[in-house]
Amino acid sequence: MSVQQINAYVTAMFEIAVANDALATVEDEMFRLARAYETNEALRGSLGDTSLPIERRQKIVEQLLGGKAHNVTVQLASMLVGTGHISLLPQVADALVKRASSEKQLEVAEVRTAVALSDAQKTRLIDALAKATGKRVNLKVVVDPSVIGGVVATVGDEVIDDSVRTRLDQVKARL
Amino acid sequence: MNLSIFLAAEDPSLSHHWLFPEIGEIIYGGLASLIIFGALFKFGWPAAKKALEARTAKIQKELDDSAAAQSQADSDAASIRTALGDVASERARILAEADAQAAAVLSEGRARITAEVADMEARATAEIDAARARSGDELRAEIARLSATATTDAVRAALDDRTQQELIDGFIAKVGAAR
Repeated sequence: MSVQQINAYVTAMFEIAVANDALATVEDEMFRLARAYETNEALRGSLGDTSLPIERRQKIVEQLLGGKAHNVTVQLASMLVGTGHISLLPQVADALVKRASSEKQLEVAEVRTAVALSDAQKTRLIDALAKATGKRVNLKVVVDPSVIGGVVATVGDEVIDDSVRTRLDQVKARL
Repeated sequence: MNLSIFLAAEDPSLSHHWLFPEIGEIIYGGLASLIIFGALFKFGWPAAKKALEARTAKIQKELDDSAAAQSQADSDAASIRTALGDVASERARILAEADAQAAAVLSEGRARITAEVADMEARATAEIDAARARSGDELRAEIARLSATATTDAVRAALDDRTQQELIDGFIAKVGAAR
């Protein structure tokens, strides 16, 4: 799959989300769905199983997101399954988030933590990252147990790593 | 006794002598003898002479052949004696050469084996050292791995929700204060 094709999906999704006045919601939900797709092997296997009829796989998406996500998000994810390009979901979602952030002149800040952040923590983190990088950020939180503790924040090319995993890796290297 | 019987048996009335034959008988007998001797001399003598000469020549030839054979045998015997002498010296030379070669091979073999043994000892020593070092490294790596695993497990166990929140808040505070 070429970058042009990914961009075509992103453009289509962006326009549809804007047209439905749901860009912020859709890009956030697509981002979270992409992370779930990346980390959940069973979900990846089910949605990518070509032996299952497309309708069945689209039904899985609808059952997974139905009632929890915006209708546009469900339809866009279902479209990727229908075209047989669900494996592109992580790249498409990341590009969509980047496009949406760019539209709002924000920099995507991907933050990985071992536990979920509270809304207050998210707000303080957005302020702290903006202060540290000098950019307004679009915060995307990924709950990643491999972090163990602490936070890994990636803003553009800059990585701020204060995770327990990294400290343990340093201890391991020293051992 | 027998003579007397013979003499007594002779008839004294006979005219010829008791010992000598009649003259005619002597003449005829003599002529016949002469004829026979003549014929023998004329016809038998050349053949006998020729046979004798042939036999003499044959015997002479055999004598000559024997002499030649003896001479050849003497010559062969001399050659054999000479050859025997050469063989003995050649044998001695070959044995001496073989002894020298054997000594050289033995000496070379001893040197080679000594060098090989030294090389094997050196390699074995190096391998033992390497294995010892490897074992040490592997042991250290295993200890480090186990220590890291134990440390990770201990840290995970120690990270309760409150600690997690403190870490996150600490990160936010640190990043916010960075610039």
